[in-house]
Amino acid sequence: MNTANDTQQKIEAYLSRLRRNLRGLPAAEVEEIIRELRSHILDRLSAEGEPNAASVDASLTRLGSTEELADAYVTDSVLAQVEVSRSPWRVLSALFRWASLSVAGFVVLLGCIVGYVLGAALFLCAIFKPFHPHTAGLWMISDSSGDWELSIRMGFGGIPANGHELLGWWMVPAGLILGVGLVLLTTRLVLWSARKYRQSRALPSSQ
Amino acid sequence: MYCIVSCVKASETQNDGAEKWEVQLRKGCLELAVLAALWGGRLYGLEILRRLESESDLVVSEGTVYPLLSRLKTLGLLRSEWVESDAGHPRKYYALTPAGKKRAAEMAAVWERFSSSMSKLLAPLSRGR
Repeated sequence: MNTANDTQQKIEAYLSRLRRNLRGLPAAEVEEIIRELRSHILDRLSAEGEPNAASVDASLTRLGSTEELADAYVTDSVLAQVEVSRSPWRVLSALFRWASLSVAGFVVLLGCIVGYVLGAALFLCAIFKPFHPHTAGLWMISDSSGDWELSIRMGFGGIPANGHELLGWWMVPAGLILGVGLVLLTTRLVLWSARKYRQSRALPSSQ
Repeated sequence: MYCIVSCVKASETQNDGAEKWEVQLRKGCLELAVLAALWGGRLYGLEILRRLESESDLVVSEGTVYPLLSRLKTLGLLRSEWVESDAGHPRKYYALTPAGKKRAAEMAAVWERFSSSMSKLLAPLSRGR
């Protein structure tokens, strides 16, 4: 009876580690995964006769470490979500999950935020240009030391000192096209990096 | 983004070229293999794994197949249901949805075309050996 308890405990310890590693996913999905893998482990064990500590270890090793397994589940879920719907909100919420699990996910999330924010700023600037014709637009602002910076301005403030506007009315078509283009390109880059990452991580064989 | 990916890739290129190619090839076929395994009707995860191992020499890791099944389900290619078993615990069965059947048939057609044209191209190599 004692070994039966031990094996049970080993399996549950593995599954609760996995549950912690999967924390980014929706709770219902996590429970479904845990339940499926528990059933898998029990089936593996009963196929090999009386379960003992060694056979439990072997079956857990075949599944891989809980970190690797959780990582595969989360990146696969990110990929599937982005493939099903490419709306920036879906992409970002999927990326937040991935970022909570791996450094690569965090880097992709940062890049994605930068891309989306810049895209949105260009788009909004084009929208505001007709309302604030003298102040909205892409401005190059230089200071006395010769440094300069580019600024996308919505036009709510005044005309910046030492600044001059670069695009004039071209801001409207350029902002609309570049803004939308940048958002689409960012989504494609996210999808591409998630695919690359998954290919590089997927475990080819258990042997 | 690119940096991370290329770092990961750099460590991979140290493997033997042909071996790496074979691994990529197997990974690329895994999705079709899983869909094909379900063509005859519903199966649970371990049955899918056993079928892949016995009917193809795709030796696949369990840690890859279960996340893949869950992804194919999110994509609407598979559906799943829990079924009570004699073993005392329920099992999660997967089956192809109509979209999954369509995708499997399309992928199989591409595979047939590709492999027959490759076989023609490769025929001189196998005769030479």
